[in-house]
Amino acid sequence: MKLYNISLQSLRRRKAKTIFLIIGLILSVASVVMLLTVSKNVNASIAANLDEFGANIIITPKTDDISINYAGMSINSVSYNNKELHTNDVEKIRTIKNKDNISIVAPKLLSVEIVNNKNVLITGIRFNDEMKLKKWWNVNGKIPSEVNEVLIGSEVKKKLGIKLNRQLKIRDKDFIVSGILDATGSSEDGMIFMDINESQILLDKKDKVSLIEVAALCYDCPIEEIVRQTSSVLPGANVTPIKQTIESKMTAMHRFEHFSFGISAVILIISMLIVFTNVNASVTERTKEIGIFLAIGFRRSHIMQIILLEVITASLLAGLIGYVIGSLASRFIVPVLTMDESIRIVYDYSLPLLSVGFSLAIGFVASIYPAVRATRLDPISAFRSL
Amino acid sequence: MSLIGINNLIKEYKTGNETVLAVNNVSLSIDQNEFVTLLGQSGSGKSTLLTMLGGLAKPTSGKIVVDNIDVYELPSKSIADYRHEYIGFVFQSFQLIPYLTVEENISLPLSISDLTNQEQKQLVKLILEKVHLEKKAKRLINELSGGEQQRVAIARALINEPMIILADEPTGNLDSKTSEDIMKIFCELNNVGKTVVLVTHNTAFKKYSHRSIELSDGRLVNL
Repeated sequence: MKLYNISLQSLRRRKAKTIFLIIGLILSVASVVMLLTVSKNVNASIAANLDEFGANIIITPKTDDISINYAGMSINSVSYNNKELHTNDVEKIRTIKNKDNISIVAPKLLSVEIVNNKNVLITGIRFNDEMKLKKWWNVNGKIPSEVNEVLIGSEVKKKLGIKLNRQLKIRDKDFIVSGILDATGSSEDGMIFMDINESQILLDKKDKVSLIEVAALCYDCPIEEIVRQTSSVLPGANVTPIKQTIESKMTAMHRFEHFSFGISAVILIISMLIVFTNVNASVTERTKEIGIFLAIGFRRSHIMQIILLEVITASLLAGLIGYVIGSLASRFIVPVLTMDESIRIVYDYSLPLLSVGFSLAIGFVASIYPAVRATRLDPISAFRSL
Repeated sequence: MSLIGINNLIKEYKTGNETVLAVNNVSLSIDQNEFVTLLGQSGSGKSTLLTMLGGLAKPTSGKIVVDNIDVYELPSKSIADYRHEYIGFVFQSFQLIPYLTVEENISLPLSISDLTNQEQKQLVKLILEKVHLEKKAKRLINELSGGEQQRVAIARALINEPMIILADEPTGNLDSKTSEDIMKIFCELNNVGKTVVLVTHNTAFKKYSHRSIELSDGRLVNL
């Protein structure tokens, strides 16, 4: 018989108290595990969605000459290019170390052309990539699928007085307006979009690219690192992160995380109070028992050991069970919150240790005072209760 | 040879604004291997005297010297060690731990010793035989009769081989037949060298002791 046997037997045979203590802790640990797992996965899901919602990196040729503004970014005019981007540069972006974080690469060829006696910005794009990147685009008609089809902005429609499915002549070549873009409130309203390969032939700029928009998935990677890696594979280019976009994404992503931490802190306080109340009441109930321990020669430190050992054992058990329950619960909650039944839930491998540590910390901190109180019980009053 | 020396012992309790003199200037000496009964009415101070003797209640003034150790001059850790090494307590209502079995209750004092589990089991086995409870070693306390519970309490008090047994009304909750059996156990313990101080209000138990001391209002009445 050792002191730990007394603690273990007390836990084993005073079942109601033990179960109440463990359930209190399990609920706290499970809630925190669930919140953190849900928060991590929902954040990742939000981040993935946001990352595809517009570019967060713009790549332009290195030059001092800037004359064209595209989507809020100043772009050098093709006519003054000192250095140029090429089609194979687009593929180089997907060779960087963090290539898995690269979601969408959307190259563009820009040129000001005279159409129907008006200056219009012609933009060669890859429609598949562009449509993924510009989720806010609303197209009347259809997205061009043939090389002789174009998509025009709402301003172009007004400027040129052209309608859907009508022909448009650019550099003596006929194109059909297959779609008209609803007003976006940006420079895109004044553009004519066509297939990038067709634009390179039409504008006699074979393999040339004016700029590349990149959407990088950056929930858990530093965007600066992706920019650095991209710059190293494209030495002739300016690689610029769009800070505003990144910041707003990060804010959106961390909002739920902050909420989770806030709730976890409240749970921490509540569970500490539960443990404190439980252990404190237990010490009061066990005054007689403490009197017996004192009478048979136990030191105050022995009594403290017995009480703390009980709480620590219960906390350890609650930490493990709480982790399992919290993880299982998040399996059901994450798909609901992300509205994605097929989501693959990512678990933090440090969470089991964190759960046990969290539980032990709650148990230990909350039972320190009752344990100290037990050791300070006046032997006379403890003895009187015998 | 004197084992216990009590000199001018005073114990006051404060209850509200009132001071109660529980033990009033008591001096006495108890020899090694002596069996002493402390008699007195309820509230006479006999239990208070016993708790002071057991190192559980510090006297207001006076001295208790046991085996040449001035008990209340010891630091608190050493007073706990004194209780562990010198004293075996037996209480009126047994005071056993309900969630422990008979053998676990008996080995409770050994849980803070350096003995291995095997050594402890050996000692518990021997003492269970002495109190005739070997067949009930694995039982929980509430499965035992009052007499059996008191025998467990006596076994627990003896497991450490203390020099002194302090018994506070040990038969108070038992019928007369069982009380006689328990008193016989105390006599046997005394016969094997234990010093026994027994608090009781039952004057019939005087016959088991070498000496009876009566307390009234905290004072010794008859030596």
